[in-house]
Amino acid sequence: MKIESKIILSNIVNIGLILLIGFFAMRNLNQMQTKLRFVEIADDLNATLLEMRLIEKNYFIYQKRDFLFDIQEKIDKAEQSLNSARKDIVLGVGESNFVLLKSHLEHYSDIVHEVQSDSHIDATLNSRLSAEGKMLREFSDNITSLERKGENDIISRSKFILFYSFFAILICAVFVSHFISQKILLSLREIEKLAKSISKGNFKRIDGAIPDDEFGSVMVAINSMSEELRNREEALIQSKKLASLGILTAGVAHELTNPLNNISMMAQTYAELYDSLGRDQRIEFMDKVEKETERIKEIIKDLLDFSKPKEANLKETDINTVMQKTLKLLQNMLDISNIKTKLNFVPDLPHVLIDEHQILQVLVNLITNAVQSMQAGRTLYLATRPGSGGDSVEIQVMDTGKGIPREFLPHIFDPFFSTKGEGGTGLGLSVSYGIIKNHKGDIRVESMVDVGTTFTVELPVYKSKQMSV
Amino acid sequence: MNKYRIMIIDDEKIVGDMAKLSLEQEGYTVETFLNGEAALSRLGEQKFDVVVTDFKMKGVDGMEVLRTVKQLYPDVKVIMITAFANLDTAIEALRGDVHDFFPKPVKIKELKASIQRALS
Repeated sequence: MKIESKIILSNIVNIGLILLIGFFAMRNLNQMQTKLRFVEIADDLNATLLEMRLIEKNYFIYQKRDFLFDIQEKIDKAEQSLNSARKDIVLGVGESNFVLLKSHLEHYSDIVHEVQSDSHIDATLNSRLSAEGKMLREFSDNITSLERKGENDIISRSKFILFYSFFAILICAVFVSHFISQKILLSLREIEKLAKSISKGNFKRIDGAIPDDEFGSVMVAINSMSEELRNREEALIQSKKLASLGILTAGVAHELTNPLNNISMMAQTYAELYDSLGRDQRIEFMDKVEKETERIKEIIKDLLDFSKPKEANLKETDINTVMQKTLKLLQNMLDISNIKTKLNFVPDLPHVLIDEHQILQVLVNLITNAVQSMQAGRTLYLATRPGSGGDSVEIQVMDTGKGIPREFLPHIFDPFFSTKGEGGTGLGLSVSYGIIKNHKGDIRVESMVDVGTTFTVELPVYKSKQMSV
Repeated sequence: MNKYRIMIIDDEKIVGDMAKLSLEQEGYTVETFLNGEAALSRLGEQKFDVVVTDFKMKGVDGMEVLRTVKQLYPDVKVIMITAFANLDTAIEALRGDVHDFFPKPVKIKELKASIQRALS
């Protein structure tokens, strides 16, 4: 259901409740009106009955028969008003009470007739008249006060209904608006989460049921945007790949042209000077040619490593063991270059899932670079430690060498970028970068000219499928 | 033995070595340098007739050598060799009043001919 329909529905429910309250209030008011009309009539009737009884009292005091006619007149008047207001009285006190009242009146009238027709004044008849008059008046009084009480009941019932209906509407309105706003907020949060993940470059789709409301439409729109972004990113990656292929080709051309030129120039000079060259010189020439072909072979090997990374042979490994192996491998180089090392390996680190040979290659590359940048006698700092997030392990290679100028930093992982001149092919860091990315890790660099360079490699911790309990 | 002095600048040592061997056969006096800085400072001490320089070098590169030489010693001819041969580098070098421009691999005979033309 759309959110708009939900809001409309909840409004309809609230309006319905208000109408219901209005209906009850109207009904109570109508009842009140009926009761009030009855009480008005009853007051009139009571006044007539009161006058009747006053005349009755005068009759007993003065014993004059004329008073009986006056009483009869009042009875007629009371009967007349009873008949004319019959409908209202029945509505107010019910048919049975009306009939009872009427019969009381008729009975009283009968006694008055009896007294009239009697030639002398009979004491028993007089007392019956008095008793019947009293009863008539009391009965009429009673139903009047009963009705007054009924009026109060209606008023307090109205108050009660109005009071609780007000709370019912209030609770209903608060609950419904809270429910709807919760739902809106929840959907908004879902969308916010998605937008955040998209802004981080994770172009995922919303899986599962798409709600049939406005948020559903937004989610569908985001999904298609996400897909479009993913397609574009793929296109961008493709074009970047092509661009780096361009850099690669230019790099390869330059890297290969230099040794080729060397061989060519040596061959030309060799032919030109052949007769004047001694045996040792000729062999020296050919040795140099051989060395240059080695150089070409090396470039091609790096290139192959770069373009076609070997399938990683992943095994659960302790990174400190790999560090020790690397150091053993490079100890000779460190000794020759007279570089001291300071090690700070945190013991019992969580294991990582790596291709040991490849990571060894990365570490050899990083440490070799570090050593080459340092003067003899300097110190190389090597460290391992848990990553900041807790789900990774960090390796740090920190040299105290010449550093990398700020403008070169963005390019150091580019293929064929080198600051070493003739010594480097510019592929080492690029290959290392590829290896670490293949391990779903990260490699970062910080550097200050004349202070040193720090490479940090971050590898994800291996999570065993059978978690220990 | 002729009286001309040739300077060769290339960060590839073999280029200088071979050019030196071959040019010395023709009677030139040849000095080789592995970078632009050392070469320019030597130019301050010694007059050369022809400077042969690599285009792409760390630090002071071939274009900077060309500009400095043309500014300080306009008579000295500069020949550029490069492994990075493309139209842009060639045009850049020509604008800098280069005498000649050779892509690697260099034909030593052509280089010699070019040096002779520069000196005639």
